[in-house]
Amino acid sequence: MIEVTQLTKKYGERKAIDNLNFSIQAGSVVGFLGPNGAGKSTTMKILSGYMPATSGVARISDLDVFENPLAVKSMIGYLPEVPPVYEDMYVQDYLRFVAHLKNVSSENIVSYVGEALEKTQLETVKNRWVGNLSKGYKQRVGIAGALVSKPKVLILDEPTVGLDPNQVQEIRSLILNLKGDHTLLISTHILSEVQATCERVIIINEGSIVVQDTLENLTQKNDTPKSYEVEVLRDEDKLKKNLNQLPGVIKITPMSSGFEIHIDSEQLSGEQLSGHIVGSGSGLVGFRAGKSPGLESIFQRLTHRKRRQDKQGASE
Amino acid sequence: MNSMLYIAKRDIKSIVFSPVFLMVSSLCTFLWSFSYIKSLIQFAFNSSAPKVFNSVTVSLHQGVVTGHISLVNMVFIFVVPALTMKLICEEKNRRTYDLLMTSPVSSCQIIMGKYIAGLGASLLLLFISILYPLLSGLISEVNYSLVFSSYLGLTLMTFVYVAIGLLSSSMTRSLLLSVIMGVVFNLGLWFLSQGSTSSDNDVFIAVMEHMSVGDHLFGFVKGTFRWSSFIYFLSLSALFVFLSERVLESSRWR
Repeated sequence: MIEVTQLTKKYGERKAIDNLNFSIQAGSVVGFLGPNGAGKSTTMKILSGYMPATSGVARISDLDVFENPLAVKSMIGYLPEVPPVYEDMYVQDYLRFVAHLKNVSSENIVSYVGEALEKTQLETVKNRWVGNLSKGYKQRVGIAGALVSKPKVLILDEPTVGLDPNQVQEIRSLILNLKGDHTLLISTHILSEVQATCERVIIINEGSIVVQDTLENLTQKNDTPKSYEVEVLRDEDKLKKNLNQLPGVIKITPMSSGFEIHIDSEQLSGEQLSGHIVGSGSGLVGFRAGKSPGLESIFQRLTHRKRRQDKQGASE
Repeated sequence: MNSMLYIAKRDIKSIVFSPVFLMVSSLCTFLWSFSYIKSLIQFAFNSSAPKVFNSVTVSLHQGVVTGHISLVNMVFIFVVPALTMKLICEEKNRRTYDLLMTSPVSSCQIIMGKYIAGLGASLLLLFISILYPLLSGLISEVNYSLVFSSYLGLTLMTFVYVAIGLLSSSMTRSLLLSVIMGVVFNLGLWFLSQGSTSSDNDVFIAVMEHMSVGDHLFGFVKGTFRWSSFIYFLSLSALFVFLSERVLESSRWR
């Protein structure tokens, strides 16, 4: 449904996104994750036809976004970071106006607007001025505007930003209700939102994709413990010195009882490590796997790693 | 085409039902009423005064309507930018611009929709001003063909003012700056003809005189209809509308 190939956007000399490649299957819900300034909104603006890319190709339903902008735009519902609502209009009139803009035929307008109001639970406020609504309701009106034309693709840029926890929950349930009817691309830097709503994740940092996988795979791959908590009866200092020499041991941190060993799981397994400690004769009495990393730590690791690499590159 | 009309319909409602329009139209009505009635009383007094040898008889059109048209034109130089300031500027500020840019609507349709809206609101104000000379027909003899010719000129002039207002609105995010730029452009257009006095070059003087909006407008006020004036106003409006469309389109590339 969405196919992005070698997409690059430059603002002057600065690259906002650099050589992005990803594809999204029809009907799936994909989270577009990244810290602020990573290039999420730029990518979404390009996909929605708001602005062209400097180079590369973006296709939606096999149509090039730049060559067929009007055809592509009629297939997309886009909710920017700030909902694009006219405050001097009634909710229902606003949705009718958006439906007209999106080329919904006159005979379908009433039913489409009615469905959008129903899906977003805005029926009770349909005759109220948008300007008089709360932030959460305005966000709903924005989402209703994005889906009023029944688009194949829904692009939501940080749909829950600035909302209170109750409103966040309401918007998430709304997104869950939209699953199946549309291909959804949701940009966010709130990780719990991705866990609650998305099947697949694309993590972007400083304009480049650092990982793209299903949520399940991502957490499974990273489920192998990266640290072990160890307790021994004697010669703790000597053991620590020995372990520090072992290939695959990254660092050893002290704990209230015992210590924690951080390892590179590609070089050293938990079994090898425990075998080594037993062999040292220090009297192993406790050996527990450390906490497995959640999406949050995966995200932090992936987005920080690139920064570290860049710093190292610069210092070299 | 339809999208353009929907944009126009939405925007014209937004302008006409805004407090700015109510305030502006009230002030204009007050100013025009005061000035027109004063001119009418003066005209009545002069007409009833005994004729002096060799004195020239002045018609209602020359004595009252021409002055009224000059005043309407002067007011429009300042008022039209205030009416058109919201057209694009506010879309950018309220981020509704994103909706337009991601809808299946071309930049040309957006600009034309906005232009029609600005024109509609300004012509509504112009309609209020034509009521004065038309209603004068109840108490005096009015040369209606001259009134309509004058208002055709003013309508064409409004086409230009709205196009300039639209361009100003597309160039900035500040409403105040949009108004200031609009007024400066409008005044600049009127002072363009002054350039002819600073040169001895005949070709330059001829070009500057042709560019002068005053000559073209007062041709209509005198009742002399010229196609060149008609084309002049329309091409000037088209130029500013085209520039607005370019500014809008260029925002995609920045």
